[in-house]
Amino acid sequence: MKWSYNDMEMYVQAKEYVDTFLVPFVPFSFSRNDEDTKRLALHAELMDIFVNEIEKQYKGRIVLAPSYSYLLDGDYNEEIPKLNGYVEHAKDNGFKHILFLTFDKKWKKRDSKLHGNLIWVSAGQTHDLQSEEAQNMIRTQIDQVMELITTYWQE
Amino acid sequence: MSNKKQQVSRRQFLNYTLTGVGGFMAAGMLAPMVRFAVDPVLKPQKAGDFIATGTEVSSITNTPTRVDFSYEQVDAWYKSTVSKTAWVYKDEKGDIVALSPICKHLGCIVEWKKEGEHANQYYCPCHGGLYSKNGDNVPGTPPLAPLDQYKTNVKDGVLYLGEIVPNQEVK
Ligand code: FES
Repeated sequence: MKWSYNDMEMYVQAKEYVDTFLVPFVPFSFSRNDEDTKRLALHAELMDIFVNEIEKQYKGRIVLAPSYSYLLDGDYNEEIPKLNGYVEHAKDNGFKHILFLTFDKKWKKRDSKLHGNLIWVSAGQTHDLQSEEAQNMIRTQIDQVMELITTYWQE
Repeated sequence: MSNKKQQVSRRQFLNYTLTGVGGFMAAGMLAPMVRFAVDPVLKPQKAGDFIATGTEVSSITNTPTRVDFSYEQVDAWYKSTVSKTAWVYKDEKGDIVALSPICKHLGCIVEWKKEGEHANQYYCPCHGGLYSKNGDNVPGTPPLAPLDQYKTNVKDGVLYLGEIVPNQEVK
């Protein structure tokens, strides 16, 4: 379910079935070289494709949070308490699985400090999201993330 | 390409928008909350619109197979490409059946299982909903209604799918 009026109308009537909160990370920055700026924006588009597809497949069990944005060159240690605050809030309100989805490598070594489950995916080298090759790769990765999510559900 | 009539000032635009949003919210509050928004039967789609799937009818067997297709949709704000999926098979009479994969419980996407625990059933990964081949919901699992189906049409040996209607296969 998306963070939208219609979907929340469904959510409030079916809360006991909705136990997963998915938070996409969308970092941004203008202070690096132009290629990096473009690449980061591309990652944001790619994240959109990922989470929309996951939300579509698992609509009845997942709430897709508004994207979490932060400065790529900012202090990640300042983000951690905020994110953990999200986790506490979601848990207090009936969610069991809080998943952070990111292409940003820098989260990998901070994984253990986050109280939610971090899912890191490699964004690859694609520039053209429309090419058949990219589409196949993205499809495969989305399937892998979805499978991973079902393993959390089986715990 | 200048067309004076179509120019809307910023203020006018905001007026329109705000009125529009207000009206929309009022409508939302008045609308009876009887059915969930996931119910695709309620989605407006022009009757009689059929979309070519690119699937040859001759390749359809009696095993449900996934067919993906897409089309352009324009709503008040966006033009977007809508991707749809159907589970398609031929019944005993040789008629084509195309089921909607949207679970009637809370709207996840169901999958036809060829093997394993739920072999020869549609399985919903969200809360374990099950349906038999014609879309009939298996009692004791969360869904309370059979899977919807698409209207089908065949032109030049190719499968066309139309609007989604309630299941007519389950007798
Ligand atoms: S959404 Fe399919 S069983 Fe709940």
